Amino acid sequence: MSKLTASGVTKVYGGKEALSQVSLELEQGKIYGLIGRNGAGKTTLLSVLTAQNPAASGEVLLDGQKVWENPKALSQLCFSRELNQMSGNTSNALKVKEYLRIASVYLPCWDQEMADRLVKKFGLDVKKRISRLSKGMMSMVTIIVALASKAPFTFLDEPAAGLDVVSREQFYQLLLDEYAESGRTFVISTHIIEEAADIFEEVIILDQGKVLLKENTQELLERSIFVSGHEQEVDKATAGLKVHHPERLGRSKGVTVLLEPGESLPDGYDVSVQKPSLQKVFVALCGEEAGHENERD
Amino acid sequence: MNEILSQEKSIYIQIREMIENDILRDILLEEERVPSTNELAKAYAINPATAAKGVNLLVDEGILYKKRGIGMFVAAGAKEKIAARRRERFFDDYVKSLLREAKSLGITREELIEMLRRADEGGKTDE
Repeated sequence: MSKLTASGVTKVYGGKEALSQVSLELEQGKIYGLIGRNGAGKTTLLSVLTAQNPAASGEVLLDGQKVWENPKALSQLCFSRELNQMSGNTSNALKVKEYLRIASVYLPCWDQEMADRLVKKFGLDVKKRISRLSKGMMSMVTIIVALASKAPFTFLDEPAAGLDVVSREQFYQLLLDEYAESGRTFVISTHIIEEAADIFEEVIILDQGKVLLKENTQELLERSIFVSGHEQEVDKATAGLKVHHPERLGRSKGVTVLLEPGESLPDGYDVSVQKPSLQKVFVALCGEEAGHENERD
Repeated sequence: MNEILSQEKSIYIQIREMIENDILRDILLEEERVPSTNELAKAYAINPATAAKGVNLLVDEGILYKKRGIGMFVAAGAKEKIAARRRERFFDDYVKSLLREAKSLGITREELIEMLRRADEGGKTDE
């Protein structure tokens, strides 16, 4: 089983730490979701993990071998970058078929037959220049590169951005098909959390350049509860527990709690307990300024 | 298997309940193959590991069994087993919560019994 490991990765842009001391381990054969607010460092993390960008300190290893300037390790990785009108990079001037040809040269496990099939499926005009594509079509190009790369570790940056709901469903199906067939590892950053939550075996929450949490998605949801009711009852019921993101409306209060092992909500209080969605958990964790509003009674 | 997933319960619990419901309704018959975890994953856009977790619960309970290299099958007697377990749970899931709600509304035991009787008779005249 291959493993991609980042340890103590720090990346500085203009004196500010875009990533600070990021350590994580990615196992072969899992679909990971990478979520975080704008500017949390998601794209930077993906580019450092795939050695497209050097880290200021720390290292990224594939099965114990440094990834940086290591062709053997790099042949196992594919980072399909987000394309957009503003990025002003050279790829915007290329035609779709030229962009795909370059990908086929750089990616040693490239599957041309698959790329052709997906181009047809999405109805992409390969003679168009990247800069002339709609946002949704740009996403399709990045998805084709990622899937056809056949790289054991494949990273997608916002693949669902700009896609309409039918295309997004298509993408999830394609992804699950390819995953079932190949057992490749996929790391997918997305803002469309709710839709993709059930696809991710593990979720990585990045906040202000730090890994806030990396956990099995279903286990995270199982230990997350939303407790609401009369403020006094909620406070009593959650006394001693770490509560996130208190929401108040008149006398009522709702809080999100991530129960730690051994913790539980005591019986006997007149409160409602609901299961929050991953999106709600994410907002509860990242929706406040650096956790200053977190309370511990 | 046409139900939609909700977020009220864990996904793997829902997968397990959907398969159980299909067995109770004769959509899946005993000794018949059930959809694979990859088929379930695709149908509901969920991670195959989550689907497998739900299916494995049913294997542990003897409701499904594995045929090596072929897939997962409904065990003989599965339907009765599911019904028996649901009858046991009926007391906790429905009767106890009914009593709790009745108590918080100040409904007496006699009133509750009378309501049950009326509902049962009402149900009969509706048919």
